[in-house]
Amino acid sequence: MADTIKLNVAELGYTIDHHAIIDDINLEIKKDEFVGLVGPNGCGKSTLLKNIYRIYQPDKGKIFLDGEDIHKIKDREFAKKMSVMVQENSVEFDLTVLDMVMMGRFAHKKLLQDSTKQDMALARKYLAEVGMEEYEERSFLSLSGGEKQRVLLARALSQEADLIVLDEPTNHLDIKFQYQIMDLLKSQDITVFTSVHDLNIAAIYCDRIIVLKKGKFVTAGTPEEILTPDLIRYLYDMDSIITISEVTGKPQIQFLPNFKGFKS
Amino acid sequence: MKKLTILPLRSKRSFFIFCICMIALLGGALIMAIFLGSVMVNPGTVCKILANHLTRKEIYEAAWTASEESIVWTIRFPRVLMAFMVGAGLALSGILMQALTKNSLADPYVLGISSGASAGAVAVIMYGWFSFMGTFHIAFGAGLGALLSIVIAMKVSSVDNKITATQLVLAGIAVSTLFTALTNFMIYYKQSGSDKQKTAMYWMMGSLSGASWSSVIYVFVIFILCVIAIIFFTGHLDILMLGDDAATTLGLNLRFIKMGIIVLCTLLTGAIVSVSGVIGFVGLIIPHVTRSLIGPKHGRLIPAAILVGGFYMIICDLISRVIVSPEELPIGVLTALFGAPFFLFLIRKSKSKFGGA
Repeated sequence: MADTIKLNVAELGYTIDHHAIIDDINLEIKKDEFVGLVGPNGCGKSTLLKNIYRIYQPDKGKIFLDGEDIHKIKDREFAKKMSVMVQENSVEFDLTVLDMVMMGRFAHKKLLQDSTKQDMALARKYLAEVGMEEYEERSFLSLSGGEKQRVLLARALSQEADLIVLDEPTNHLDIKFQYQIMDLLKSQDITVFTSVHDLNIAAIYCDRIIVLKKGKFVTAGTPEEILTPDLIRYLYDMDSIITISEVTGKPQIQFLPNFKGFKS
Repeated sequence: MKKLTILPLRSKRSFFIFCICMIALLGGALIMAIFLGSVMVNPGTVCKILANHLTRKEIYEAAWTASEESIVWTIRFPRVLMAFMVGAGLALSGILMQALTKNSLADPYVLGISSGASAGAVAVIMYGWFSFMGTFHIAFGAGLGALLSIVIAMKVSSVDNKITATQLVLAGIAVSTLFTALTNFMIYYKQSGSDKQKTAMYWMMGSLSGASWSSVIYVFVIFILCVIAIIFFTGHLDILMLGDDAATTLGLNLRFIKMGIIVLCTLLTGAIVSVSGVIGFVGLIIPHVTRSLIGPKHGRLIPAAILVGGFYMIICDLISRVIVSPEELPIGVLTALFGAPFFLFLIRKSKSKFGGA
């Protein structure tokens, strides 16, 4: 089963006002893989992800989830198969933290069915996993950006889908929580597809990294295979030194500043 | 400023107690609204007459005059029931529009939907369209007017698929002005004699004076159907409030729910306006107040808003009948007096949150 393809993107293209934001994207994500999506700002990461979680309707190409065209899956079924955590959230709807997490159970409920004990237990379990169990009764709007993000992750996890798609989940988070969230995702028994801003975090956690630039696919492979000074120069116009960490055994990127006046 | 920490009432028990209190208040308001008026009827007599009629038995011996009985049973009681449904229905329409636009300034009056409905109702009355539908024909015309105005208001106020508060209010002003003008045009064009002003006033300012058992019954049918439908979708409304993107990823069928909201809102507003004319701001005040009392989740908000909205309207109608007795103040004047300052206050709050916590 290890090689079953979970998500398959075929020749995907998406344009806004005749301007191609992403073009001819092909990629595959296998079951239980942890895949990172990397690329400079404006390279189309969010657009690609939005096509995958059905906010955008692609202009070209198709996306398959478990071999099924995603636009042929019913909304509730889709939410049971793929959960999503996005960076921005403009909610003005003042729920308690626990209620917010319970929203993740929507797709599992029948019409008129009230939340069951199991739903509640699940919500509490995931709240505890993101370290927010003390905040249950707090109002969601009163939380800080990082706290909100952790609650939203708990919500996505409580959907209990076996694929989770995330758009820069560690944005705005303190370092501790960046690693905590990635640890948490890594320990789940699900397929993870996430865009990542920080290359070192991507190198540590991802089984595979997919690289985009200017809306086009650049390369994909394990962190060891693809993270090279050449690629980083190409993507970010930065010089770097890449070593292998003795602790994690993963590539570690040190960016080199242009300023040359440092003491040696 | 420190907020009251007791509100909103979060626990199930406190919500239950709240509902019981509201029902008790409603009962009181109902009796009061029946015995007070240009002709006073003893409250005890009111209860006895109601008891006799509701059970269809002669529990109490008739120690009252026939005119008292007719005032209580055929004039005031249907009127109070109508007031309840109008208040509750407008509050529900407000909640629905706010969920649809994710903007707490939305309500059928502000968006011009009530004006659209009243233009539709007047057109049907003046030109005799849809008369094959019997008692429902005015409501049907009002519903069409409401639908038309909803579509225009939504189209105009959404920029890049988002509805901004400013756009919303501006679109509402324009739509409501347009349909009010149409209403007045039809009235002045078609109707002769001195009734013109009265009719125009009735449709613009609202009144419950036309309430009768036959109109109560048809509004009741539509009201109950809509309430049942809304109760089914309270969970969906909660999800919708999280924003379109989040709602989609959580498994909500956006198209379906948005169509549903428009249909329900059209039906409710149409039915209400066809019997009461344009009564403003109820859909704005009641949801806001109710949210701050019991929180924003629709499973509680909707039953609570029905009770609070109904209560509010019964009281408003009572005041409008007694304040300039024996004349009657159009009820829309009162709701605007209470509602407009509140509307200003909501606009002033830079971010009009869907309060609660």
